Amino acid sequence: MQALEAYLAYSMLVLAATLLSRTNRAMNLIALTHAVSCIALAAYSLGNAPMHYFDNNFLIDSLSIYEFFITGIIFFFALVYAGAHLERLVELGLLEKRNTKLYYLSLNCLLIFTILSFASNNLAVFWIFVELTTFFTAFLIAILNSKKNIDASLKYIFVTSTAMLFAFIGIILIFALSESALGKGTLNWDELLANARSFSPGFLAASFAFIFIGFSAKSGVAPFHTPLPHAYSKAPSAVSTIISAVMLNLGIYGILRTYAVVRQTSAAPAASNLLLAFGLLSIFVATFSMLHQRNVKKLVAFSSTEHSGLMLIGLAIGTPLAVFWVLYHMLAHALTKAVLFLSTGILQRQYNSNNAGKIINAFKLQPLASIGLILGGAAILGIPPFVIFISKYSILVQLAGYSLPLLLLVLLLLLLASAAFLSLGTEIFTHTQDTRIERYNAPKRMTAPIVALIILVFVLGIYFPSEIYALLTKIVSDLKF
Amino acid sequence: MNIDANYVAYAFLNTAFIILISPLFMGVAKIVKAQAQGRIGPPLLQPYYNLLKLAQKERVYSNKSSAITKITPYINITIMIVASLGIPLAFAPENSGGLGNIILLLYLLAMGRFFMAAAGLDAGSTFGGMGSSREMSISSIIEPITIIVFAALAFTLNTMDMHQMFQTAAQEMSFLNPALILVSIPLFIVLIVETARVPVDNPETHLELTMIHETMLLEYAGRDLALMELSHAIKQTMLMAILINILVPWGYAREFTAPAVIIGMLLFLAKGIILATFIGLTESSMAKMRLFALPNLFIIAFFLSMLTILLEVFR
Amino acid sequence: MITAALAESLTQALVVLVLISGAFIVTRKDLLSLVSTYQMQSLLLAGVALSLYSVDQSPTLLYLAGLTLVSKVLLIPYIIKRIQRKINISRDMEFHYVSPIASIFITIILILLVYGAFSNILKELALSNLFYLGAVFGISLTLMGMLITFSRKKVITKIIGYLTMENGVLLFSLFITELPFIIEVLILVDLFMIVLLATILSIGMDSSVEAYQERFHQLHIEDLQEKLHLHRKHRGES
Repeated sequence: MQALEAYLAYSMLVLAATLLSRTNRAMNLIALTHAVSCIALAAYSLGNAPMHYFDNNFLIDSLSIYEFFITGIIFFFALVYAGAHLERLVELGLLEKRNTKLYYLSLNCLLIFTILSFASNNLAVFWIFVELTTFFTAFLIAILNSKKNIDASLKYIFVTSTAMLFAFIGIILIFALSESALGKGTLNWDELLANARSFSPGFLAASFAFIFIGFSAKSGVAPFHTPLPHAYSKAPSAVSTIISAVMLNLGIYGILRTYAVVRQTSAAPAASNLLLAFGLLSIFVATFSMLHQRNVKKLVAFSSTEHSGLMLIGLAIGTPLAVFWVLYHMLAHALTKAVLFLSTGILQRQYNSNNAGKIINAFKLQPLASIGLILGGAAILGIPPFVIFISKYSILVQLAGYSLPLLLLVLLLLLLASAAFLSLGTEIFTHTQDTRIERYNAPKRMTAPIVALIILVFVLGIYFPSEIYALLTKIVSDLKF
Repeated sequence: MNIDANYVAYAFLNTAFIILISPLFMGVAKIVKAQAQGRIGPPLLQPYYNLLKLAQKERVYSNKSSAITKITPYINITIMIVASLGIPLAFAPENSGGLGNIILLLYLLAMGRFFMAAAGLDAGSTFGGMGSSREMSISSIIEPITIIVFAALAFTLNTMDMHQMFQTAAQEMSFLNPALILVSIPLFIVLIVETARVPVDNPETHLELTMIHETMLLEYAGRDLALMELSHAIKQTMLMAILINILVPWGYAREFTAPAVIIGMLLFLAKGIILATFIGLTESSMAKMRLFALPNLFIIAFFLSMLTILLEVFR
Repeated sequence: MITAALAESLTQALVVLVLISGAFIVTRKDLLSLVSTYQMQSLLLAGVALSLYSVDQSPTLLYLAGLTLVSKVLLIPYIIKRIQRKINISRDMEFHYVSPIASIFITIILILLVYGAFSNILKELALSNLFYLGAVFGISLTLMGMLITFSRKKVITKIIGYLTMENGVLLFSLFITELPFIIEVLILVDLFMIVLLATILSIGMDSSVEAYQERFHQLHIEDLQEKLHLHRKHRGES
């Protein structure tokens, strides 16, 4: 029953070992064991959930376990990649050698606080840990020696943290609400969910609106997506992967938990409309920003906004099936985005740029990264047999049952997004020219994660494991949808 | 309008009192400014001497000017005296005779301003025209704000009538009422703007290009000038009285008896001198603002009076 | 002993002053006075907590006042002032989108909107008028802080805006409910870290043009010399 304590003790050990170790490789290895320990924590908790810790301030239930898995897997692949990528960054002078330790320390801290956020039961504690992840993400973006990185990092801090303050207002409101309804204020998810029916719906809807603003900034929902393209394109690729795959889930997770509480009351339609509006806005804004985008990483960044919009729409529909597929989409999107960011990372190191115009002879110079980008692009658009196809299709089917005109609108927008990917793809991969660009030999440690992830995305696309099915069903019933 | 003996007595006393003390406050402000600049300054009673001297001199009119120039001084002083009836300095009769209405007060002030501007334009001199145009553009910004300030005042004290406002303030003695403290700041700004003092205008000189109020008086001489200056002084005293009687109403006569009234008048004189000193100090501690920076000052007044209204909404 | 009525009107006065300090921050250009105003604002907030304590007698409020005093009146302004000296800029002339006057107008509109929006929501808590006022002004202050964060260009000003927002949230929470003290402490630690990071980053962004070019020179000095040389040669030929 002491799994979380054991994990915490181990993570402290990891931090200490990272501080003491000298080589890049050792630090990388230690961080990798850390990521594995997260997966182990998830696997152990799977049989024992729900587990309460620290005065019920922490709770590991099915949803936390699911998020642990995603986080652990993404961190694992990103860290494998980061090891080799880091050496290259130091070589190019983009990262100072004495900052490598800082880099690994913050990556480990980011992982710890992400796990702790997913394990928090208390809304305020969750808020605090999410803010800490913002801190470390911003730090990791700013670690490279460039004024643009600092700028991107500051933008990320200001937009995310200001929005998070609104979430805190919502938290205060919920506390006041529970105090007036239950006599004693509480912010625990489980107690809120159990007592949701005794809360006043109007008040709860208002609190939800505030909390939604805060967490949607974390997952890049429009109009809070503005810092993301900068942050994604400037951060080291491993970090972009983590922001896009894990931080986005963190925001959606917070929204999902709060939404589950609101769903119990008669305020559900109001909250659902809010989600729907922001979801549509995100897809709309993302699509039209993608259409004229010539920067590969920024294109992928906007696609994250599009996908969080899709997830919001799925949540807005609110049927158990829709929520089920949104949860699955979280995993699918995280894996696919990782493929894309890791591939563009190799291209970026080859050409020192993300601009389509600078990328020449991509197939000849970087065949693997090119294939990764093409397959990842196909996967993110929802082309079968990749995993996003299943989740995206199922969400759209649910949307068809909810409102047909809305489905047509979303389909049109998704089509435009595909056009954007296609046009940039053709531009990049048909751009051949006789130039003597020295080939950058990406080490195995950078290419292997891409191959592994592509295989994973493909396998999950044709085979739906019954374990995941059981876990997702349990989550949906736990959240009382 | 029902006029009783009390009201008639009040009308005479109040008018005589305001005419008598207004030049004094002008003089006090002048002395304070001079002292702050390291000069000795004019004697305290200099404004009275000036008025007496001017009253004995002859009037000169430009051959281009029309009747407007001739009647404006009389219209102006009349307006100011009528308006001053609505602002009881040291004591208020039971009924205000309808003259205490703040909307009436605002309209009277606006009318006075209109005639001033018209007279500035009348003679056709460049300076006069410039002064008038500036006066009008400033007043078009400050007037909505003045209205909001007075609205806040009316909201706080729950009446539109100046007499009742003063009586309520005197009864409550609410020195710690945040709303009243808050509204006194915009009132002070309005006072500065309306009396053409330093951050907005410079009363010291006549000829500099930046001046506003004084340039409109350039064409006047003799008795007309005396009347104009007196009405300006009365206007200042009225606005000062609003500030004093709302913020620090101690000693305000609550009943209409000789000792109470005399104490009230003496206290008002003392408070007025202190306020005039304060005005002089503010003036000498500030530089004149550029014309286009003035909205910054006005917006503060606007913001604070909006806050006052909000505070009252929550009461 | 302070009577309840006096405490109430004192609280009201302090809350109003907090909002005025917010308006002051919205319009100011002078960076040093921005920090001092923020300091003042935090002091006033501590005062609000104390005057609420005199009515409520809840120890959390007392701790909160002390915490605010130490962190926001002393520590954070001290750090920001040090950084400011380092980056050597004293005025933020860049009102990015809105002029000071426009921002005051926006502020007034924001306050009215918050008042309108919250009159429905907060009815259910059955707050007294004073607490209602505090809550509305708290949210208004938060929005004013956001206005500063997004309408100015200098990072230091943005940080002050963010801190003002946080003060607004604190004001709001003082009047709405009493959160567990440990959470307040954690939030403050959090805020402190974020502000520290942003301030350190601001050295990279806000440093004066000369300092930036000096760094730039160090990087490309040979390059530049070469170019200069070529340029001279070119002129000599023509």
